[in-house]
Amino acid sequence: MAIEIIMDWLQATLRWAAPLLIVAVGEVYAERSGVINMGIEGIMLFGALTGIAAGFYLDSLVLAVIFTIVIGAFMGLIVAFLTVSRRTNQVVTGLMINMISLGATDALFSLMSETRQSRVATFPIIFPKGMQSIPLIGPLLFAQPVSTWVALILPVFAAYILYKTRWGLNVRAVGDNPKAAATAGLSVIRLKYQTVILSGISAALGGCVLTLGEVGYFSAGGMAAGRGFIVMAACVVGGWDPIRTAVVCLAFGAADAAQLRFQTTGSVIPYQFLQMLPYIVTIIALTIMVKRSCVPKTWGSAYDPKDV
Amino acid sequence: MKMLNKTKIVRLPFLGDLAVSFGRTVFGIVLGLIASAVLIGISGVNPFVAYGALIRGAFGNGQALSNVLVRASPLLLGGIGVSLGIKAGVWNIGMEGYMYLGAIGASLAGVLELGLPPILHILLCFLCAAAFSAVWGIIPGYLRAYKGVNEVTATIMMSYIAIYLTNWVVSCLPLVAEVGAFYPMSKKFAPSALLPILMKGSSLHPGPFIAVLLCVVFYFILNYTSFGYRTRMLGANPNAARYAGIDAKKQIMIIIMIGAILGGLSGAVEVMGLKRRVYMEFVTGVGYESVAVALLAGGNPLGVVFSALFFAALKAGGATMSIETGVISSMNSIIIAMCMLFVIGVGVVDSRRFAKIVDNSKDDDDTEGGSASSAAKEGN
Repeated sequence: MAIEIIMDWLQATLRWAAPLLIVAVGEVYAERSGVINMGIEGIMLFGALTGIAAGFYLDSLVLAVIFTIVIGAFMGLIVAFLTVSRRTNQVVTGLMINMISLGATDALFSLMSETRQSRVATFPIIFPKGMQSIPLIGPLLFAQPVSTWVALILPVFAAYILYKTRWGLNVRAVGDNPKAAATAGLSVIRLKYQTVILSGISAALGGCVLTLGEVGYFSAGGMAAGRGFIVMAACVVGGWDPIRTAVVCLAFGAADAAQLRFQTTGSVIPYQFLQMLPYIVTIIALTIMVKRSCVPKTWGSAYDPKDV
Repeated sequence: MKMLNKTKIVRLPFLGDLAVSFGRTVFGIVLGLIASAVLIGISGVNPFVAYGALIRGAFGNGQALSNVLVRASPLLLGGIGVSLGIKAGVWNIGMEGYMYLGAIGASLAGVLELGLPPILHILLCFLCAAAFSAVWGIIPGYLRAYKGVNEVTATIMMSYIAIYLTNWVVSCLPLVAEVGAFYPMSKKFAPSALLPILMKGSSLHPGPFIAVLLCVVFYFILNYTSFGYRTRMLGANPNAARYAGIDAKKQIMIIIMIGAILGGLSGAVEVMGLKRRVYMEFVTGVGYESVAVALLAGGNPLGVVFSALFFAALKAGGATMSIETGVISSMNSIIIAMCMLFVIGVGVVDSRRFAKIVDNSKDDDDTEGGSASSAAKEGN
């Protein structure tokens, strides 16, 4: 009995952490290059809606993913243009992008009212039934949709790119010392554009996984519910390292899953307090870890090529 | 921007600054309105008809004007709170959460029939609201000042926690919650705890006037007291402030706490003057809109008056617009955010950059930077 509950919880943890993991990969790159993309919360909403809309009207998961990537890249481009080229304040830019996204997705969703009536096909489970019935790891790993697997592999891949390739080295250099990077002949602005657009794409994909990973519907009024901000906190706590950030995201997913389990099983604590759990965990984690993480040196500040 | 180098107006120390920054703000707002018009057009409504309805809804008659004032009141109070933070160099953007806590505090004192005269009962409610939101603000304030936790994330997380706390208060807390309501809400406020209605047939309450008064008060505090001087110094140059012997940590914590109290008052005014109950999730984005208000005002409390009224007019008019022309009601916040994005995109907020443009006109290193950025644009 106890084991069943724990297994159930772990399974839900992976499911709820999957969107966070995917969003975090892009955000780590953007923040490593010095740009805090705070718009990921709103871009997630766009991704979530695009996934549902494409899934409903075109009835194809592949097209849904492609459209999500396009939307994410477009939103990332807007953020990049404002924060990198126009050097606007990154916090404000992100907040305004979030406001627009919340309003726009609600508006678009109310235009597509017919999508409310049925659930859209979600990402499939690719493993055969035989593997799913392996005790313990069967239901935990092999009964997960393909999106969870992508989410688990992506951080490792991202860490490899960040630490072992020339492009990854360039990104880190741009974030830590843009002037030296520029002197060495790198195009700082182009690299920042690349990472921010990447963070837009990954945020949109994360939103897409949020809807198409399991539930199969979109709900108006901000269904991302602060997950984008939680990912930003995870980057700080995880020290802007893809793997460690992923571990932190898993922990937040565990808190989310735990509060959902408690809600359904019923407990003495009112469920509203359980809903606070992921956010409280975030604040506590930030408080404990903030001293130990090493910040990208130009984190959050604009790069002015004329600055000497 | 090259144009600016040649205009003489830039060299006038004060007037030129003002004219250019005001001009840019207006330019940004106009661009934002045009972009929103395109969106309205895409959604199938003639933008001219829609904006006509918006203007009528904001300034058409006395009712509309009072509506604008009522909507301005939370934006004004929240706007000052965020402005103080901006002046001190911290992003105190958890207004949403402070508003909820203020509303909770006000409701604890407000739903009870205490037999107090209205003025005392109202003051008691404000006091409770201030106390609750101050405690709420101390948490991110302390974490930011003494633990180095990024205040942006911390305040936003606190906002989400506050939303769920309010949900619990209005649906479960015995003294406050209305039992068996169709939507989670608190009991009705006692008549003695409600702010009086100033104009018959409207919902105009004294909130906006109190808020404008507070804007003026904080303008003087910021510019003519040592507390204000310390705050501005901290924002302008934290290192210099530390060398000058300012207790930066304490100052940051106090600033975040004052911002929280103002946010709490804004929530209290909203429920005591307009809503008459605390509803679940009654704030609906006003907290983030007050960030836009403070930013448009450049952190100046007197500027907050104008920017809050401007956004309130957009919101009040926007409501009429969506009723009359069928534009989606969330178009309101889209227009506000669009205007803000264009305003900061055009670049009025970053005065440092403005100074740099003037400097660059003296030495000739423009070419290198220009080619670098143009190369970047080709790359994308």
